[in-house]
Amino acid sequence: SLVIRGEKDEQAVLCSKDKTYDMKIADTSNMLLFIPGCKTPEELNADQASCDIIHSQIAGFSNNYWELRRCRPKLKKLRKLLMEDPYEGPDSRKDQTLTFSKYNTEDLLSLIQASEEEILHQLQVIDACKIEGYWRILDFDYEMKLLNHVTQLIDSESWSLSKVPLRTCLEELGSLEPREMIEHILLSYGRKYIDDGEVYFEMLEDKICRAIAQMLLQNAVKFNLSEFQEVWQQSVPEGMTARLDQLKGLALVDKSSRPETIFLLKVEDLPEDNQERFNSLFSIREKWTEVDITPYIQDLCAEKQTVGALLTKYARSSMQNGVKVYNSRRPIA
Amino acid sequence: SGGAGGLAQWVLVELQGEVEPRQSSGLAGSLLGDLHYTREGVPVLIVGHHILYGKVVQLEKPFAVLVKRGAGESGPAGPHTHYTVTALIKTKLLFKTRPKPIITNVPKKV
Repeated sequence: SLVIRGEKDEQAVLCSKDKTYDMKIADTSNMLLFIPGCKTPEELNADQASCDIIHSQIAGFSNNYWELRRCRPKLKKLRKLLMEDPYEGPDSRKDQTLTFSKYNTEDLLSLIQASEEEILHQLQVIDACKIEGYWRILDFDYEMKLLNHVTQLIDSESWSLSKVPLRTCLEELGSLEPREMIEHILLSYGRKYIDDGEVYFEMLEDKICRAIAQMLLQNAVKFNLSEFQEVWQQSVPEGMTARLDQLKGLALVDKSSRPETIFLLKVEDLPEDNQERFNSLFSIREKWTEVDITPYIQDLCAEKQTVGALLTKYARSSMQNGVKVYNSRRPIA
Repeated sequence: SGGAGGLAQWVLVELQGEVEPRQSSGLAGSLLGDLHYTREGVPVLIVGHHILYGKVVQLEKPFAVLVKRGAGESGPAGPHTHYTVTALIKTKLLFKTRPKPIITNVPKKV
């Protein structure tokens, strides 16, 4: 079956189990009659013998119909809802008070304009976890605290970054944090595998370095690029290499300032609507190279649509110092 | 004949303009007309004293007929309204030529 989702102030979408479609009403000046069981010429040919009148009823008629177009699931709201009450850990005084900003799967299904599979997939992408039946996102500081416990343990035990044992982590850290949280952070920042009956994690270098960069960058409006890179490399676990390409969609480098600077710009904080997204990007920076803007518009691409197609539609290109740059089609306030 | 997974297959008849009831009693329950196919498979519709010729069109984008269920009922988890797919429409009979009046009584030239 199909479900139509949307609140009063939203445009309706129709969802199957795993896809989302924009709904539009199409009008026609013609009259459309629908007839159950009506036979087509091909179906009747086979029945040469009978010359009887078949009485058919017209089930109904209409001047309009719903047209569906596959669209991107509208998932920005999911993060917004879960950020209303991020989980700060069992010691947080916040959780002891009654808050009604908690959502279980049923709640999300009725509030988010996306199919069930798309919602569940996105929950996995944003590292949400179920605590007492409710979907929760971890407060970033708490998440870094958990990650830090793990990376410090890896360091003190001299484990290989690609073979971190779950059992030992739970034993050593279980007194500091809930076991479910330790396992959750390992699942979020590592790739789980089984070797000889034991569960291990291969730590994800890019994701860890990226999280540490975010932790550093969120403390100021912008940073001197070379200073930042130095501090960043010193902050990541031994054996990991911090690289700027790990920060796509998270931070932006300003190559035009002297000295060069870097600042936090998270794609998930930007508008979901195509035109609004481009307006927002062009108000942050007037001219963008394709390399710089791609991480910030990649998620807008519909099925089989390319970043190039989006740029052609929403931006105007020009050459600047021998490099192709894109700017807004219309003046930005 | 059954459709995909046993779903009923309906046919759409598309008419240009509007259908008006002969009496003012409305359309429901009234006879629209007679549908025939010529030997070449051309659909012919006789409505009142008009005859319309059409063609069979395989729909590029098939239609699904949805029936609303549970409207207005509210359970503990909220309204139960949902739509179930009742039938599929893959074929339409399109009548877009001008209806021709059927003249049965041609006065003789005097």
